Amino acid sequence: MHGESAAPAIGLGWKHRFDAIGTGCLHFVSGPKPYLMLIGFGLTLALWHFSVDVWRLPRFKEMPGFTEVVHEWASAHPAFGISLFTADYYRDIWVSCRRVAISFFVASSLGIPLGLMLGWSRKFRGYVFAVFELLRPIPVIAWVPLAILMFTGQESPVIFLVSMASLFATALNTKLGVESVDESCVRAAQCLGASRHQVLWHVIIPGALPYLFTGLQIGVGVAWFSLVVGEMVSGQFGLGYRINAAYTTVAYPTMAISMITLGLVGYVSSALIRMLGNALMRWRTSELAL
Amino acid sequence: MDTAIRAQVPRTARPIRTHLSVDAVRSAIGIAVFVAIWELGAHSAQIFGAPFPWIGRLPAPEAVLATWADLVVHKAYWIDLYLSFLRVASGFLVAVVIGVPFGLLLALNRWAYQIIFPTFEVIRPIPPIAWVPASILFWPTQDLSIGFVIFLGAFFTIVLNVLGGTRNIDRRYFEAARSMGASRFNIFRRIVIPSVLPSILVGAVVGMGISWEVVIAGELISGGGSAAGAGGGIGFFIWNAYVTAGQAAEAKIVVGMISIGIMGYASSELIRWVGRRATPWLRLR
Repeated sequence: MHGESAAPAIGLGWKHRFDAIGTGCLHFVSGPKPYLMLIGFGLTLALWHFSVDVWRLPRFKEMPGFTEVVHEWASAHPAFGISLFTADYYRDIWVSCRRVAISFFVASSLGIPLGLMLGWSRKFRGYVFAVFELLRPIPVIAWVPLAILMFTGQESPVIFLVSMASLFATALNTKLGVESVDESCVRAAQCLGASRHQVLWHVIIPGALPYLFTGLQIGVGVAWFSLVVGEMVSGQFGLGYRINAAYTTVAYPTMAISMITLGLVGYVSSALIRMLGNALMRWRTSELAL
Repeated sequence: MDTAIRAQVPRTARPIRTHLSVDAVRSAIGIAVFVAIWELGAHSAQIFGAPFPWIGRLPAPEAVLATWADLVVHKAYWIDLYLSFLRVASGFLVAVVIGVPFGLLLALNRWAYQIIFPTFEVIRPIPPIAWVPASILFWPTQDLSIGFVIFLGAFFTIVLNVLGGTRNIDRRYFEAARSMGASRFNIFRRIVIPSVLPSILVGAVVGMGISWEVVIAGELISGGGSAAGAGGGIGFFIWNAYVTAGQAAEAKIVVGMISIGIMGYASSELIRWVGRRATPWLRLR
C-alpha cells in the first residue's frame, strides 16, 4: 500500500527537491521569522553579557561571562585547558557519545522486544507488567549508589544506569504503540489467513512504529539526562564529568562550554532519531504532507 | 455473524471477573519470581560459595524490610522525606505558576513565539542536571539551588505541553465563537483554557516525575561535593549510606530508593486526582 504512494515522491528527482528547498529558503528569509529569531538570540546573549560583565549584578558576578566563555572556547591556548583546539574536549564528547550509543543500543535491543511482548501477549503482560510497574516509579538516579556497588569498574555502572533509563521509556512507548494498532486491522489480517507470526510482523510492528520512535526519541533524551548524573557521580571523562570537575576546580568557563556542548550533542542525537524515523515511515510523512 | 455473537455471549458475560483474577494471579507470580531471584542473588555467596554477578551484591529483601522497620520509628527518616518533598513541591509549583502563562503567551502571541521560542529550543536540550553545579554557584542556599534545577526540569515540559495543547485546538471553535461575537477574553476563558487543561495536566504529571529525578540528582551531587550530611533530604540519605558504608549501608540505600519510588508515585497520583477533578467532562468519554 505504501510502496505505491512512496514511489512517485522518490521519482520526482533531486533537481525538483533542490528547487523546493531553494524556494523554501527564499520564503523563510523574506519573512520576518529569521529576524525575530535573531532578536531573541541577541536579547538573551545581551542579557547574559550585561548582567555578568557590565552591570555586575550581585549573584551574577561569579558566573562566567559571555565574552569570557566565547574567548575560552575559541582560544588555541585556553586558560582552563578545554577549548575547540584541545584534544581533551573531543575526547569528552567522544566518551559521552560512546556511552550513550552503547546504552541506547542495549536499551533498544531489550526494550523494543519487551514492549512488543507486553503489548502483544496477554500472558506475558500478566506476568511481567506488575514487576515493571513496581520498578518504574523509582527514579533512575536513585539507582546510582546501588549501581556503583553492583557493578565493578568505572564504565559499567554508567552504562547500566543510562540503559535502564532509556529502556523504560522505549518499552512503555512500544507497548502503547502495539495497543494503538486498530483491532480491526488485526482481525482483517486474520480473516485473510495470516498466521500469528505474520500478524505480528506485518500489522503490529509497522502499526507500532510511530509510538516506538517517539519512545526512542524520549529514550535518547532520558539517556543524556541520566548520563550526566552517572558521569558526575562516577566515571571518568565525558561531558558530565567535565562539568563537575570544572565546578570543583573553579574553571567556570569550562563548565559553561561543557553545558552548551552537551545541549548541542543531545539535540543532534535526537534529530538523528527523528530523521531515521521519518525515513522508515515514508507512508506516514506522505500521509501528513498530502 | 449472528452465531458468532451468540457463541460469545455466555463467554464474555462471566469471564470478566475470572480474567481479572487471572491477571492478578499472574502479577503475583511475577512479583514472587522477582523477589525469589532477588533473594537468591542476595544469598548466593552463602549458598553457592560465590556471589552471582551483579545481583550477588544486593542486600537481601528481609534485611531491607528490617532496616526499614528500624528507620520508620526515627524522626530523621521522615524529616528527610519531608525536605525532599518540600523541594519538589516548591520547584514544581513555581514551574507551574510561571510555565503555564509563559506557554500560553507563546501559543497565543505570534510575536512572542517567534522571538522567544528559538532561544527556548536552544536551551532546552541541556539536561537539567547539567545545571546543578552552575545553580549551586549562583544561588546562595542549597535549597534554592536544588529548587531552581527542579524548576528548570518541570518548566520545559509544562511549557511544551501547553504549547502543544493550544496548537491542537480546532480552529473552527475560534471561528464559531468570533462569528457569534465573543470577545477575546471570552474566547480565552471559554475555549482556550478548557482545551488546554488536559495538556497542562499531562505536562504536570511528566514534570512531577522529572522533579523527583532532579531532586535526587541535586541532593546526590551537592552532597557528593560538600561534606556528607549537609542539608538533609532523601537523596542525602542515600548518599550518606553509600559514603559512610556503615551498618546495613546497602539495605539503607534500597530503603531510600523504595521510599522515593513511593513518594514519586503518590505525588503523580495526587496530580492525576486533581486533574480528574478539574476536567470532569473527560470522564464522560
